[in-house]
Amino acid sequence: MTRWTRNALRGLMLILLLRGTKPAHAEYMRIHLRVYGLDCGVCARGVSASIGRLAGVEGVKVNLQSGMLDITLARGNRLKLSDLRKRVRENGFRSLEATVTAIGRFSGSGFEVLGSGESYAVGRASQSGASDPVELTFHVR
Amino acid sequence: MKRLAAALCLSALCLWADGHGPAFGFSTATLGAGDSSAGTAMMWRSGVVMLSPYFSYGITGNVQISISSPFHLNHGEHPVGRFTGLMPGDPEMEVLAAWRFHHSLTGIGTRNESTLYLGTSVSTQLPPRTDGPALRRAPGFYMAAATGHISRRYYVWAGAGYERYASLGVDHPSNSLLGSLVLGWRPAFLNKEDPASDCRFFWETTGEDVAHAWRSAAAPAGAGHHGVPAPLPTANSSGIIVLPNSGGRGVYSGPSLLYTHGNLAFQLGAQIAAWRDPNGIQPAERFRVVAGVSYFFPGRRR
Repeated sequence: MTRWTRNALRGLMLILLLRGTKPAHAEYMRIHLRVYGLDCGVCARGVSASIGRLAGVEGVKVNLQSGMLDITLARGNRLKLSDLRKRVRENGFRSLEATVTAIGRFSGSGFEVLGSGESYAVGRASQSGASDPVELTFHVR
Repeated sequence: MKRLAAALCLSALCLWADGHGPAFGFSTATLGAGDSSAGTAMMWRSGVVMLSPYFSYGITGNVQISISSPFHLNHGEHPVGRFTGLMPGDPEMEVLAAWRFHHSLTGIGTRNESTLYLGTSVSTQLPPRTDGPALRRAPGFYMAAATGHISRRYYVWAGAGYERYASLGVDHPSNSLLGSLVLGWRPAFLNKEDPASDCRFFWETTGEDVAHAWRSAAAPAGAGHHGVPAPLPTANSSGIIVLPNSGGRGVYSGPSLLYTHGNLAFQLGAQIAAWRDPNGIQPAERFRVVAGVSYFFPGRRR
């Protein structure tokens, strides 16, 4: 094997390694999202199917009585809460408050969901002061 | 043979509306962005049997486009005016755009909304008439608006529409004005979560004011399809012959039912004439029926 071939193989391996490195992921784990206006099963199916097709969504359950969507997300997903809200809007409905379980870091007075670029003001009592990633359940208005 | 074709079409197409609305009157719901539904409805009135396949597609959460093409399986007599708020009453291909311009989401399962409809149609069949040869058709234009309150328990919709045909100096079918009031109810014991079946009951009242049709004095003379000689033409100064036995006013009222299971929706409705004032001498249209089936296709956006 010539030096040129070895260098070429090393370069190729480096490229493959770099390509295999995962970018930062959002770490939303579960979202309960309240939706206004859902009156029937057909509406529920439309919203459920629309959200269910977003990459990273593992499951969607709709409760028509409470207007609540229960969205379970895969680990390492890149989803944003704003993506979900947009899908709800595209189906002709309005999303309201959410209860979110996510992995993130406290930064300043907020909680930043890892890799999503979305941060939320959470109660001071919830803040442990740690800068390491933590799992937190919080409410979003 | 025609009835067999109808049955085949019904079972093959297996498709109608967005699964939200009443059978005869106006409603406001539109499909979500990327969602579609397709279906067919069988309609009967005054001896006319129509089959109306249709397809609807949601462009955004508030804008929908639909195409329907009702056609006669049995010509019967010749009632005029739209059959339903959202479907032509004559054999035409109609493209109908819906824009839900007002959308107020007021609570869990509750919303108030208003929708504007704009459509255009071209004739696909020329049904024979008893008072002369078939009327040649010009394009039709349709505008309607509906407003309503929707909840998990009650539905109320009111709407009105006007259909006008371009004259183009030839025959002119009747322009028509249609209004409707729909009251809906979902009993508490049927208020269940998806995927359980859902059933809603409606009481639909529609009123119509249909103008006279006219034919061009230049149209070829001939007999109607029952062999009745065409009346002697008496053209007015504009060169048109107003057909005295066309148009009229009426109010129809009756129950309908919407049953959904999964992505399938079934609809059945009947109306009886509460009041009729037809122009001239026309066949009695005391009863009308619609039965439809539709399939909902959730959007495929990623």
